[in-house]
Parts: sequence; structure tokens; C-alpha cells
Amino acid sequence: MEVTMDPLFLAWSYFRRRKLQQCSDICAKILQDNPYDQSFAVSQCLKTRALTEMVYIDEVEVDQEGIAEMMLDESTIAQVARPGTSLRLPGTSQGGGPTPAVRPMTQSGRPITGFVRPSTQSGRPGTMEQAIKTPRTASTARPVTSASGRFIRLGTASMLTNPEGPFINLSRLNLAKYSQKPNLSRTLFEYIFHHENDVKNALDLAAQATEHAQFKDWWWKVQLGKCYYRLGLYREAEKQFRSALNHQEVVDTYLYLAKVYQRLDQPITALNLFKQGLDHFPSEVTLLTGIARIHEEMNNISSATEYYKDVLKQDNTHVEAIACIGSNHFYTDQPEIALRFYRRLLQMGVYNCQLYNNLGLCCFYAQQYDMTLSSFERALALVGNDEEQADVWYNIGHVAVGIGDLTLAYQCFKLALAFNNDHAEAYNNLAVLELRKGRIEQSKAFLQTAASLAPHMYEPHFNLSILSEKIGDLQSSYTAAQKSEDSFPEHVDTQQLLKQLRQHFSVL
Amino acid sequence: MSLFKARDWWSAALGEGEEFDQGCLCVGDVDNSGTGHDKVVVGSYMGMLRIFSPHTNKSSEGGVADAQLLEVQLQNAIIQVEVGKFVSCSELLHLAVLHPRKLSVYSVSGTAGNVEHGDQYQLKLVYEHNLKRTACNMTYGTFGGVTGHHSLCIQSMDGMLMFFEQDSYSFGRFLPGFLLPGPLIYNSRTDSFLTVSSALQLESYKYETLSVATEAESRQDPDLPLKTGGKRLMPDWTLVLGEQALDLSVPSFSHSSASIFVLGERNLYCLRDNGQIRFMKKLEFNPSCFLPYASVSDGITNLLLGNHTNMLLVYQDVTLKWAAQLPFVPVAVRVANFLELKGAVVSLSSEGHLLCSYMGTDPSFFTTPKVDAREADYEQVDAEMKKLQKVIREVTRTQGGRPNSLTADKITSTYILCLLFKQLTEVFSLVVRCQKYQRLTEFQRFIFNYYIYLIFSVFVFFFFSLATIWLKFQTSNHIFLFSGVPRVLQSRFSLPLSLVCVPSSPTKTTKFKITVDTNQPPVNLTAIFPEFSSKSEDKDGNTLAFQFLSGAKVTVLASKTSQRYRVQSDSFEDMWLVVKELVQRFDQHFAKLGIKDFKKSFSGPLPLQEYFLSVDHHFQLRVNAQQYQDLLSERAVQFRAIQRRLLTRFKDKTPAPLQSLDTLLDATYSQVMALAEAAEENRAQLEEAFVRLRSATHLLVLLLSLWQGLTPDQTAILEATLLPLLQDTPQLGWEESCDAAVSHLLRSCLSRNPKDQATSLAQAGGPVLSFPRDTERLKKHIALMCDRIAKGGRLTLASEANAQVPIQVQNLAAPGKFGPEKTESQIRCLHSSSSRKSDHDIFTRVSIITEPNFVHLTKKVSFSSLLGIFSSFIMTERVWFCSRYLALKRRFV
Repeated sequence: MEVTMDPLFLAWSYFRRRKLQQCSDICAKILQDNPYDQSFAVSQCLKTRALTEMVYIDEVEVDQEGIAEMMLDESTIAQVARPGTSLRLPGTSQGGGPTPAVRPMTQSGRPITGFVRPSTQSGRPGTMEQAIKTPRTASTARPVTSASGRFIRLGTASMLTNPEGPFINLSRLNLAKYSQKPNLSRTLFEYIFHHENDVKNALDLAAQATEHAQFKDWWWKVQLGKCYYRLGLYREAEKQFRSALNHQEVVDTYLYLAKVYQRLDQPITALNLFKQGLDHFPSEVTLLTGIARIHEEMNNISSATEYYKDVLKQDNTHVEAIACIGSNHFYTDQPEIALRFYRRLLQMGVYNCQLYNNLGLCCFYAQQYDMTLSSFERALALVGNDEEQADVWYNIGHVAVGIGDLTLAYQCFKLALAFNNDHAEAYNNLAVLELRKGRIEQSKAFLQTAASLAPHMYEPHFNLSILSEKIGDLQSSYTAAQKSEDSFPEHVDTQQLLKQLRQHFSVL
Repeated sequence: MSLFKARDWWSAALGEGEEFDQGCLCVGDVDNSGTGHDKVVVGSYMGMLRIFSPHTNKSSEGGVADAQLLEVQLQNAIIQVEVGKFVSCSELLHLAVLHPRKLSVYSVSGTAGNVEHGDQYQLKLVYEHNLKRTACNMTYGTFGGVTGHHSLCIQSMDGMLMFFEQDSYSFGRFLPGFLLPGPLIYNSRTDSFLTVSSALQLESYKYETLSVATEAESRQDPDLPLKTGGKRLMPDWTLVLGEQALDLSVPSFSHSSASIFVLGERNLYCLRDNGQIRFMKKLEFNPSCFLPYASVSDGITNLLLGNHTNMLLVYQDVTLKWAAQLPFVPVAVRVANFLELKGAVVSLSSEGHLLCSYMGTDPSFFTTPKVDAREADYEQVDAEMKKLQKVIREVTRTQGGRPNSLTADKITSTYILCLLFKQLTEVFSLVVRCQKYQRLTEFQRFIFNYYIYLIFSVFVFFFFSLATIWLKFQTSNHIFLFSGVPRVLQSRFSLPLSLVCVPSSPTKTTKFKITVDTNQPPVNLTAIFPEFSSKSEDKDGNTLAFQFLSGAKVTVLASKTSQRYRVQSDSFEDMWLVVKELVQRFDQHFAKLGIKDFKKSFSGPLPLQEYFLSVDHHFQLRVNAQQYQDLLSERAVQFRAIQRRLLTRFKDKTPAPLQSLDTLLDATYSQVMALAEAAEENRAQLEEAFVRLRSATHLLVLLLSLWQGLTPDQTAILEATLLPLLQDTPQLGWEESCDAAVSHLLRSCLSRNPKDQATSLAQAGGPVLSFPRDTERLKKHIALMCDRIAKGGRLTLASEANAQVPIQVQNLAAPGKFGPEKTESQIRCLHSSSSRKSDHDIFTRVSIITEPNFVHLTKKVSFSSLLGIFSSFIMTERVWFCSRYLALKRRFV
């Protein structure tokens, strides 16, 4: 038997169940059928909400620094910050950070983390050239040219949800009128900010609404802060967030404010803020994660691990924490324990190429050879793109080196290069293998390629230095050794080599 | 993500195609059996009302039917079901069912059956209310502190709260500022109603306030002043959440944990009764439903939370205690006590999946799918492996790791190309003849044609974009495809002169003249240039005029009596091509006639002044480029400074006048743009000037070699000296590199003092080449070089010659002035010709001088791209700035 229901109620129910497309469709039908009814405003509001929810991304997690923001940033305060107070000088850790000999570094000089986040690959490049070379998104090698450009693109993508044109014509909107209506203004703001990505109008609306609320509404201040952050006015954003915290302590505000401080390169302040937040919201997972991330970015891995463990005490299904602790164990020579963490992730239903790759490596180093190859096999079956495939083959190459099958290793590294021609590590290893075969020229060429692709790695420089020294080219050996020292000052072998070379020179 | 799934105790799939939502599930001892065991009541949007008493009965087969007590089809959709004491003078529990336009209260009763078919259950309507407005949800409780029975409050879709006391309607009130309904709950501790309004805030209304507020029979405009008496409805307190709430709950277990729970879309709040936050938790997923339930320890609340990733999470305050996987997204969740199981979790999905479960350590559903591993046939795999290894070995051996080396036997399948350009009115047609073209595969043919097309279009582009034609030959890339590997081979050939010029009428008076002498009787020019003869007016073959596509005219005059030929034109550079062509054709012509001792010469003086004009022009353009760059950076700095000032002015709390800063900004911007355009134009001119300079240099080299009768080797050296660069760049230009090369020649083989020659080579690594201040030095050096060559200096590259036979050289050089020097240079000549490798060495060494600059060059982006980046920066800057500017302006104006 058919039972008729009020369409508005049905739409409302769909919205609550997050069947957003159906909700939006019903609303569109209501809007078409009775455009002058009272239900018009109501269904319009509901549709606005549904459209916003469709494209909603937590603003806390969105963080991409484009080239324009990095290179044209003039608000730099201290160029040479004291060690341990800046995210831009990551090499200067005080607390037990791993050396690059043990744990590989990213281009910005931080140890590789266990979990890819939008900000893990950033870090301020020193020169324009480096900025162009540094990939900042997780998948593409092309750097983001400007954050505003990206958001505009997001905005156009959201147009796809309603092909007949924008649902609300922002240019015709009387923002002043809507800012007076508290029951509509917040919904409208979220729509403008998240769906249309029109920060300018959103800022306008928020400014008028906070005025209407007599500057007493914390929520509007947070929104103002978000708009200022997007526009790059960090100090203004900070002011708004601070003021919002005075009215009402909310977890999100702490997170936003900490994000501002991270962007302003004040990690210590951000840490203090997180701790302050923890006083109000004890053992809040997001705050703990934030602390752990900052410690990790500052190369203070042991503290980061402590905080990740705290996170796990609160929420033992936290994937990021498990992955980071696991990778830390792996790089501190405890592959068996790392294996347990990764196995847990597997049991929890994480099923992707990276996990199997890590499992394979852990199995190999934990001497569980039977599982190694099958793990890599699965990883290869699950690869999503060429970069991943290259990484998996690179790791298989490592395993091959470990078991002494140099032919296989050679072929694996070649395969890695076939999939990703910029794989500097593979070039370096290939060079070593070539050197063993006695092809000095080829080896040298590979090393030079590796060094030019990844100047932050010390290995190719050091290898090149040794190679040049052996064939008697002391001058290039010396320059290469110096480059190696630049990227890894504590490396003992480099220092010895340099010392030896200097002796040579003084004798000459 | 979880390790375990919720353990299935009892489950049922309700109906087909029915829909369920939050209010459709409730548990309670609805039939008043008195055992304390809960029944599950489920109503659907399709109007089906079902009551279950779940139990695990292993003996019976019809599990669901056995547990189902009642199933009734009602007339209307069921929005919400609640169990409570809704009938006056009765302590029994009744069932309230909310339809969109009706509220019905039923009593459910069971009578024990006599036979073993079980009990019989009945649904009896006690009372019902027809509603004037579409209902949305309802709540019940002891409103006003009445004990013993429950009242009902229904929220309508347009924001009216309707209160019912048992079977009578008491009053209705409109909520202020209403737009969309939110969840509604009654808090008995404070006797107030809680709802989350469209303003995204939690509002609390006292029952007392509601009852004395204005009677709302018709909807009133909230903006208008109230007409009748009564108080305007104001919330007791509000709390801004900033997000829509999914559900509210006011659990009442004990007084110590008196709190209100709000499940928002992104956060979970726990509030005190006065609206202060006790704690909150940011959720990293989309929640769907929640239920606080009593905890063992005091002061701590346990919480069941369902989310849209099919998970059921158990929280103890903010700590996650357990995560279990459900087979669906729950829309409602309850805790119930059943006969065999206490504290079972009852969850309902939107599609009608009803599940009673408990927490257990059943592993999660997820099992890794199998990799499509082939059945390993080891022999076959071994064979394949061997085959592949063989192929790999083969490839590595033949390539030897050097993929660019072509072995001779592979070139058997060379595609000989013959490129013929024909001038057809204005369109060039290209005929490519390729041997063995038919033997190519389809793909190879495609690649082949594509490349030819590419080369051709590049050529044509080159051709028309330049004002002066300097092209002598075109390099063609031939593609070789052996077993799919693309290879590149180059071949050079001359292009016909008719490609670039057309015959025209000769001009008598011109600025520049060059006379070439020969030792043979004069030949008819039409025989030399047959393709131009037909249109030529002059039939005796003494004059011939060429007009280049760019417009310049060159006339060739053959003397009737002497053996001289004169080339004249208004532009110095354009003569080169004609002179070269002339000389080349003479060679061919006399070679055809079989004359061995044909000689051509140039009797000087060298047109150095004309040449230097061209040099100066080029240099001036380079200086201009430098100036433009400086100006551009200056203006950019100014632009940013103005921006900064404007920004601080706008950021200022007290608005100050702009003092025409905006006009200044606009003006600077247009200046920057104008400068950038001028720089671009200058760059184009510079390119053209460089092409002309190259032509002029070629001409100079040609004349020099004709004048002094230089050997091809020497001409090559001279050419390499004077034309070290193929392209001009802002960092390294022609002037400085040419100067370096010339002065090297002057210091080495053209030096008067042989001692210098030895020493100069040692200090090869001179200062870094930098932009010269003027061209005087260069001119002087070039003039000096011409002078020395004229005086008999011979060009060699004899560093090794010097190094190997120093004594010999010095002995010979010491006594005389003119004579010995000649012999010396002859010796050197010998050496250089005997060891051709040595000159190669020298050239690498010469190039070392320029190396620091080259490194520099690769590091920097070339000027044009830099300019592009710069202007795009300016653009983004401007867009960014404008957005800030407008935002701030609106705020303060």
C-alpha cells in the first residue's frame, strides 16, 4: 500500500540519513512546484545544507602551501631561527631524531613519516628552482602554484553537482539582509565557504553577521578567522580565533589557531596551545595528534611516538597513530614490533599497496622470509599508480640485495626506474651495482643523475666522492664530499674522507 | 576500521522496500507483561507496525515469525513510536504512534493461548488526535512536574510545539526564529524542552515559559510586534554549536551524571543542565545515531555511537572502549533486556535490517581477497624465466649499457631521405622519398611521417619568423626503428637558394659592395644561377638581382672584361648568402668544366667598419635588455612597496584617506606591464639582430678566407672563434665569448712572441666572462686579428704542438722576423693536421673558460621564461591583492 508523505519531511529525513542527492532532488522539486510558498525558504535552506554537506571537507585538514604563498611571503620575521623553534630548520633536532643513515629524509629534510598528510611534504624550499621541483601534493609531481588557484578549482568542481548552473547566485545576494537572519546566515555562510569557495563573499557575510551578533558569537569569529586564513592574513586570523576562545572553548578553535601558528612557523606556541587545549578537553584525540605531528615535523621522533601512544590509549583504532608508531619501530631496528602494528592495520581492514609493501619489508627484516615475497606480490597487485609501483619494485630490489641476488636487484631497480624515471634512490643503488660490475662511467652517470634529482640525499654525493677518489679525481671527490657533508653533517665516513682529501691536498 | 564485528544474536529483515528513520525504533515492555523483558517496536514509513520479542529458539525453524508478536498495516506513515504512560488513570505502558497528520495511542495486550501456537497479541486504539500541521517529531515526559503519567509534545514541520495531556490538546506554541525542525527532547530535571534550531544553536525553553507565552493559533510574523497579550517566547539559555545536531539525549541514571548529550554532525557535546560544556569530542567520521546508557562506575557515561562507515563505537566519556563492525549503517540504536540476554544492542538500518547484537571477539568481516596467482607450473615458469633472461642478456650485451651507439650493420635499413622543396607560388610542398618505406609497420610509418612533418613545420616556422635569412642547411632527423627502439641519425644538406629569394630588377646604387676575383674568364651568370635566369631582364648575363623574402635586394654584377664579380646591396648582412652561394657555385661550375687550378680571391680591404656597425647594433640591444630588466625590477619593488602601504592603510582600524595611493598603484602596474611589453619587443629585436650578426660574421669569415686563401681547417677555426654561440642569452652573450676566443687566438697562435704562446695556454682559466661595458675592446681585437692574419699569421690549434716541440719552435722562432714565423706556422700546421684529435682537446679546454658561466646559466631561468614567471607573479599578486583589498574595503567603508 502506498503511503503519501510530506515531501519536505522526506527531504529532511533523507538529509539526516546523509542521502544528500535524494534530499537535494526532492528540494529542487519542491522549489519548482511552489516557488512562492512558505516552504520555499525552508527547502532552499535544506538544499543549501545538502549541497554543502556533499562537498564538505574539514577545514582543519586542508592545508596546502602553494609556490606563490611560499616565495612571495614577506612576513618573514627571523631568517635564522634558534634550533628547535622553527619548522623550517628541521635538521636541528635536540631529542633523539634518527639520522638519515637510518631513516630516509624527505626533500625538506624531515624523516619520512608513516602517514601521508597534506602538509607532510611541504616545507619551505630555499630557492625558486627547488620550489618548482618539490612536489607538494601526494600524487602529482607538479607543485601547487597557488592555494587560491586550487580552491577556485575545487569551486568549479563543485559546480558539477548542479549542472544547470549555480544554485544560489552569489552576486545577486543581499548579504546585509541575510546577515541579520541568524537562522539562515550560518547555513548560507557554510554554503558560500565550502561549496562555492568564494572566500571574499564569505568574509563579507561573516563580518556583517558578527557585527549583528555584537561581536559576542564565537562561531562567527571562528568563521572570520577561517576566511582570513584562506586570504593569508594570519595575524588577523589569530586575533579572531583568540577572541573566539575567550567566548567559548571549542576543540576546533584550538585546532585552527594551532594551524595558524604552524603556518607562522611558531611550533612552540602551537604546542603550548595544544597543551592548553588538553587542559580543557583532556585526552582529546585530535589535539594529541596535533602535538604528535608537530614533534614529528621537528624531528623529535621519540616525543612524537609518546604522543601517538597517548592517542592510541584514547582511540585504539587510530590509523595514523598506528602507522607512525609502526614506521618508527621499523626505522629503529625493531621490525618485529613494526610488523605487529602493520598486521593490526591489516586486521582492521586497511587494504592497500603501501601497507603490503611495509609488511613485506618488515617480514624481510624480521627474517620471516616466507611472507616477504607474497606480501610484495599483493602490493604489486594493489598498486594504484606508477609511483607506487616504482616504490614497490625499489623495495623488492632491496630484498634482492639482501639475499645477494644482484641480477634480480639490478632488474628490480631498472623496473623501478621504468615506472618512475625520477626515482633517485633507485639510481643510486643501480650505480653501486654498476660499480660492482666495473662499469665506472655508467656508475658515475647514475650517481650524478641521482644527485641532481635528489640533492637532499647524502648517499649519491658520498658514493660519487668515493668513486672519484678511487679513480684519482680528487677535486670532484672533494666537492662531492662537501655536498654530502652539507646534507648529512654527522656522517662519519664523509668526514674521514674529507680529512683524508685535505691531507692529500696539503701534501700536494 | 575495527578488529571485530558485532556478534549477531538475532536479526530480521523487515519488509521489502520500506524505509525507516531515527524515530522508528523503540524498546520497552509494551504489552505490560511484567517480566521486565523488553519488546522491540518498529514502525516504517510505509505504515507497517511490528512488535518483536527476540529470542534464540534453536528448535523452531521460522525464527523471525516466531519472535514476531504483531504486525499491523496502519493507514498512514509512521514517523515515530514511543512507549510510555500515555493514558490517564493507568499505570500501564501504552504505545504512541506519530503519523504525519495524526497521533494515535494504542494499547497492546497479549492473551495466553491454550494450544502450543503461542500467545495472541492485539492492538487496541485508545485515543487519537488529528493534527492541523504536519508533524515532524515528538517527545514525552512528565511536563510541569506531574508524576505518574506522561504528556506528549509534538513538533510540526513549521515550528509549532503542540502539547497533549493524555487525550486532550492543551496548547500550541511557535518557536521563535524557526526555519527547519531539529531534534526535540524534554529534560525532566529542569522541566524544559531542548532543541537545536536553524541558527545552529541549542535552545532550552522552560515549560513554564512556554505555557504562559502567547497562544499561537495562527502563524505570526516574528518580526512584527505581538498583537495580543502574553509574553514573547524567549529561550531560557542558548549555546551556539555551529553545526546541525542529529540527536539529543537527556539520560537520567543518577544525579551525579546529570548531563545533556548532543550529537552534532562533527562533534559530540556533553553539557550540564545550565548549558555549559562538560566535555566535547571531535568526531573524525560522520555519525548516524547515538545512545547514552548507564555505566557501572558513577560519574561516567557510556555511549553507543553509530556512524556512516558501518561501525558501532562504544565510548566511555571520550575514550573509545570498543569498536565493532555492523553490516549496515544504523539509523537508530537502543539497548534492551531480553529473556536470554541482558543489555543487547538493538540497531535498525534505513532499509529495515533489525539486528540484536552483543560485543564479542568475532573477527571483522574483512578478509583479504586472493591475488590472482597463477597455478605455478614450475617447469613452465623456469622455461619462461630462462627465455626472458636470455633476452635480457642479449639486449644488455648488444647495447652495452650505451643506448645511443649505433652499430654499422644496423644501418642497413637506413631510410634515405630526399627532401625536395619546391616553391609553388607561396606554399611549400615537401616530398619525402624513403627507401624501404613500404617495409615499415603502420606505427613506424606514423612516427616517421609525424617526425618529418614536425621537422618541416619547425623549419617553416623558423623561416618566416626571421627577417633575415641565414639558413644555409637544415638538419634533418631520421628515425630508425629497430625492433621498436627509436633512434636518431642526423644528416645535413643544403637548401636551394630559390627557397628564400626571388629574382628582381638590379639596382645600381647601393651602400655596400664586395668584389670577388677569380683567375678564370668571366662566366655567364645565368649559367651559374639557372633558376633565376628565366625572369631576369638582362639577357647578356652580366647582372642578376635577388630579392629576399624579407625585402632586401642583392645585385650581382659580372665584369665583362676582367674576371671580377661584384656583389652589392643596401644591407651588409644580406650579402652573405649570395656571396657564399656564388663562391660555391663557381667551385661546382669549374669543377664540372674540369679546371683544377681555379682560384678565387678577395682583394680587400675587409669591410670591418660595416661589420662593426652590426656588432654595435646587437650590443646596443643587449644593453637595452639589461636596462629594461633593471627598470622592471625597480618598478616591481615600487609596486610591492605601494601595495604594502595600501594594505597597512586598509588594515588600520581608523580609516585614513588613501592619498592617491591607489592611483599610484594602477600607474605603477601599467608601467610594469608597458616595460614588460617593451622588453619582449626588445628581445625579438635582439633575436633578429643576432641572426644578422651571425650573417655578417659568416660573411666576414668568408671574406677573410678568400682574402688570405685560408685552408678549410683554418676557416673552421675562424668560424668557431667568431661564432662560439648558437644562441644569445642575457647571461652569456656573443660579445664576451667572442672576445675571449679572439683574445685567446691573439695570445696563442697569432701572437708575435712565441713565449707568450706557451705561457698563455697555462693560464687558460681566465676570469669569468661578464657583460662588457662597450665593444671597443672587441673591435680592437677583431681588427688586430684580421691584421695579424693579413700579415701571415696562421691559425692553428697547436697547444700540443707547442708543448711537444717547444725547442724546435723556439729555435726557429728566435732569429728572424718574417720568414721564420712562416716556417713555424707551417710546422704547426703540420701538427694540427696530423693529429686531429688534438684540436678537439683544445676546444674542450677553451670551453672550460666559459664553463662557470654555463653552470650559472642553467641555474637561472632564461630571461624570457623569467619574464613570464615574473609577469604571472605580478598577475597572481594582483588578483590576490584585489581580493584582499575589496574585502577590507567593504568592511570599513
